[in-house]
Amino acid sequence: MQKPPVLTVVLGVFAALLAIVPLGYLVLRLAEGIEAASAELARPRTFELLSNTVLLVVSVSLTALVVGVVQAWFVVRTNLRYPGFYAVVATVPLAIPSYVLALGYVSIFPWFSGFWASWLVLTMATAPYVFLAVSAALLRVDIAAEEVGRSLGLSRLQVFLKITWPQVRTSATAAVLLVSLYVLSEFGAIALLRFDTFTRAIYNAYRSSFDRTAAASLALVLVALTLVIVLLERRYRGDYLMQRPANPRRLKQDLGKLQTPVTLLLALFGLLGAGLPMAALLNWTMIGSSSTDLAKLVSATLSSFGIALLAAILVSIFALAVSIWVVLHKNKLGSFIEGLLWSNHALPAIVVGLALVFFGANVTPWIYQSIWLLMIAYLILFLPNGLAAMSTPLAQVPKGLTEVSQSLGQSYRKSLTKVILPIASPGLIAAAALVMLTVLKELPATLLLRPTGAETLATRLWSATEELAYAQAAPFALVLVIIAGLPALALNASVRKTYAEVNEE
Amino acid sequence: MSLLALTGITKNFGEGNVLKGISLEVQEDELVAILGSSGAGKSTLLRLIAGFEKPDQGEIVFDGNVVAGESFLPAEKRKIGIVPQDGALFPHLNVYDNIGFGIAKDPNKDSRIQQLLKLIELEGLEKRKPQELSGGQLQRVALARALAPKPKLVLLDEPFGALDAELRDRLRNDVRRIIHAEGVSAILVTHDQEEALSLADRVAVLREGRIIQVGTPTEIYNSPADIGIATFLGESVLIDGKVTDGKVTTDLGKLTALNQVVEGQSGVVAIRSENFYLQPNPAGDSEVVGRVFFGHDAVVEVQTPSLKIKARSNGPFAPEVGMKVTVWVRGAVNFYPTK
Amino acid sequence: MFAAALAAVSVVGLAGCAPADSDGDFVVYVGRSETLIQPLIDQYIAESGIEVQVRYAGSAELAAQILEEGENSPADVFFAQDAGALGAVSKAGFLRELDADLLNLVDPEYRAADGTWMGASGRVRVFNYDTDKVTQAELPNSVLDLAGPEWRGRVGIAPTNSSFQAFVTALAKVEGEEVASQWLAAMKENGVIYEKNSTILEAVESGQVDAGLINHYYWYAKGNEVGFENLNSEIAAFDSQDVGNLRNVAGVGIVSEDPRAKDFVEFLLSETAQQYFVNETSEYPLIDGVEPPAGLTPLDEIPAPEFDLNDLEALEETLQLIRAAGLI
Repeated sequence: MQKPPVLTVVLGVFAALLAIVPLGYLVLRLAEGIEAASAELARPRTFELLSNTVLLVVSVSLTALVVGVVQAWFVVRTNLRYPGFYAVVATVPLAIPSYVLALGYVSIFPWFSGFWASWLVLTMATAPYVFLAVSAALLRVDIAAEEVGRSLGLSRLQVFLKITWPQVRTSATAAVLLVSLYVLSEFGAIALLRFDTFTRAIYNAYRSSFDRTAAASLALVLVALTLVIVLLERRYRGDYLMQRPANPRRLKQDLGKLQTPVTLLLALFGLLGAGLPMAALLNWTMIGSSSTDLAKLVSATLSSFGIALLAAILVSIFALAVSIWVVLHKNKLGSFIEGLLWSNHALPAIVVGLALVFFGANVTPWIYQSIWLLMIAYLILFLPNGLAAMSTPLAQVPKGLTEVSQSLGQSYRKSLTKVILPIASPGLIAAAALVMLTVLKELPATLLLRPTGAETLATRLWSATEELAYAQAAPFALVLVIIAGLPALALNASVRKTYAEVNEE
Repeated sequence: MSLLALTGITKNFGEGNVLKGISLEVQEDELVAILGSSGAGKSTLLRLIAGFEKPDQGEIVFDGNVVAGESFLPAEKRKIGIVPQDGALFPHLNVYDNIGFGIAKDPNKDSRIQQLLKLIELEGLEKRKPQELSGGQLQRVALARALAPKPKLVLLDEPFGALDAELRDRLRNDVRRIIHAEGVSAILVTHDQEEALSLADRVAVLREGRIIQVGTPTEIYNSPADIGIATFLGESVLIDGKVTDGKVTTDLGKLTALNQVVEGQSGVVAIRSENFYLQPNPAGDSEVVGRVFFGHDAVVEVQTPSLKIKARSNGPFAPEVGMKVTVWVRGAVNFYPTK
Repeated sequence: MFAAALAAVSVVGLAGCAPADSDGDFVVYVGRSETLIQPLIDQYIAESGIEVQVRYAGSAELAAQILEEGENSPADVFFAQDAGALGAVSKAGFLRELDADLLNLVDPEYRAADGTWMGASGRVRVFNYDTDKVTQAELPNSVLDLAGPEWRGRVGIAPTNSSFQAFVTALAKVEGEEVASQWLAAMKENGVIYEKNSTILEAVESGQVDAGLINHYYWYAKGNEVGFENLNSEIAAFDSQDVGNLRNVAGVGIVSEDPRAKDFVEFLLSETAQQYFVNETSEYPLIDGVEPPAGLTPLDEIPAPEFDLNDLEALEETLQLIRAAGLI
């Protein structure tokens, strides 16, 4: 195999070095103040946060599982009318950043706060992940096996529990772990709904403590929790047993009289997950339309776009370099670096933001409070997304093409740029766009690291929300959903696949 | 009394496809094949027997009880085993647990599983997961799984469809042996006439929602009820003919009809390709124009003055292309009068 | 791709977020609400022609940030919501002494003893309550009464907000750390935690919480916005000499040597700015010649205990108290 191009190695190693900055710096910093750190961890408050966090993670994971499985089951396995429509309904919360969802609720019900509020909002925000995973798995369950089960004397419920569920369980578990990672690192919605978990406490400790060891120690506890879940996820990931049956029979259970109640239930989920909060924001936007500061809105949109575009370009360059390395020239160092970069995918953004604030102020003052420190944060946070999205189109280019090109007299590098990259380019561009849309929605790291005077849609939305100025916040939220959320949903590969499979009759 | 009796079963199964008054009986320890092309309604019929669907009209009696008709017994209560098309093993369970799935509460579960493993000749593979098995092994495990609770009837839905030819042959024999060893009745659904003929005690031919003919494989093969079956079951050459003097006069001479004929009737005779005899004859009026050699036999295409026929000829002695021959028809033929 | 990157950078540049290096840009850290302050800063920009980069955040957060940044801090001026945050930064040695002509504009009571910061506007702590839920008879005589079991879950507080923190510092100084700790511990049960004064007021107004501890001008601002007759809540003072009536200032200090800093501070103490505080935010002016908002008790008549605002610099100790109580 060819050696990887030097440039890809240089970029890959550089990205890997950046990737170890946040955790490395936090650990160093804590090592200096080990006593203060252990005192911080021994506070009753830390246990309170721990139990709040665990409670929220566990309860949201469970209810998201139930909601997602119920949606998937009815959409995929029954004769529900308009299953395609309900598949859209089930996934559309993905288009709405969870802090926007929370804002929507708070703007209708000012008392909406605390555990139950956070539970509801995060359940609705994360159920789509379960829905996608479980409906994909359900579509692959061989219906013939279920019929064999019944011929062997099992009731329908037993068939579900003993035959269907075991086949869906792996996907469902993986999705639930994804949900728990999401809840663990969620900042905006939880802070808005005023429920004390680690992320909110880290932010508050950062904002109101001169000794920032406190924030750093809490951040490390959060990282430890994250690690536990990531390890669990590793254990349960993979081992997907099934291929889709070559000729799947779409045997759909007749809902009969349940048709209407089920429709209502699915519509209710849609209402809670998107309809109600979005209607509220639309309403506030109209109420406040006379006083909406259009100039602010436009400048925030432009600067959001500018920042996200720059971030997407940077992330894509690095992601492409590392993907070329690991897909086309797999070697030990490349795999190691890929693993290292991946390990950051679960790192809560608030931790990355916090670490870079410290790092920037003390070690690299020349980029402190500049756009570049923010870019480093985005690079750390979203490189895993970029890698995942870019390695697929590269891997899909038939291996033999490079060799054919070389046999026709092109050098290897020419072959790379003239054959492989052009073939992969639609996928690569989609990947870059997806990264850009994800950056647009990012809140905690942007909040901590944005240059003085830079206001994005997310930060404008955030400060207006902090002032409880809903009419002011609503247009930012709407623009965010329209320019970032919906396009991201449309580009999401697994969403598209699910829509296609549900609609294929 | 028969083990299974279907009377006047009708069932609409979507897009104009209908089972139109199916009646069929299956005796104890009998293997019946339901033979039909795709879309004929074979699978629907099987699902009705299994209890996954309710018939629109008609009655199904199984083991002395009405299971569909006035009352309905769902699949899980019928104790009828099924072996689906590609085996449909539970992907999350190993071989042992797949076979034992239906007898979880049986105290003799372990010995029964061992017995079946021996029967299907997969001893030692208990711990294998389905994805580690070959196609033939999958099917045998699926059969063992269906047989484990000792059902009186097993339904086999195109069980060999996905396998290659050689494997199919071996597995066919295995299945026949296993089913007879277990003393169980079976219904085999297939579109493969060779499979139906070689395996079944009786064959029911299903076409467009109706059972056209039921009989032993020999009966069905030798005396197809109509031209359709004749051409469906093995290769037949159709030649126009007319009854004169109690014989059927055709371009290939006067042939004896197996069935009753009426003087003066016109119709068609169906001649099996193996019933042609090609006599090399430099002065013959027919010429060999094509030849596909299979070793044990060969299919030879012959141009007679008025027809082109395909004849199956003993391999080593099959005439070469270009040879002049005389075409003879061996034995009696089936005559189907034009309506 | 390079062209696209250039385009991206230029868009970013247009949107006004080029790196804020300490030599070029004039950077003000503002620990007050953007809605209240940005119009004033826009006015300054228009009048002076000086481009101002503003970083809005909590006062304590910005104070901590300046300490973290140390000599590297991009900030030129620190405009804080209370004297405590300024005191803390000054104590660490990051504020420069202000010129006497500036300092003398305000009463010595409202500026740093060492001249490193000075008040820009005055405010008092008040008890904000929902008139439907808290009867006249129930009104607490002292802020310490709020520790009683009858207030369980009824009092909105903002422990991360520097106005609240300054009040706690004063409480600890006036009544002793022991009392302050006990009070904070009780507020863990009795308090409902919000982010800031304005949120507490909204919560009281919308009936989510019965009462709250806020700065006076939030209530007036709301009244001016929606009409006082439409307010669901009232404000009240505690008994005379109660520390709950703390007088405090929003103040300003200079961090860098940038000459524009003094100009900016001068502007904050100009009649224009002082009048702005009176008219727009219902705060007390601190210079002679500008009348306090009509209808407000004059600042020096507020029944607050005598308290040296310089003592508020003990913010770090206060934060430890608040954290020990588990409120942060």
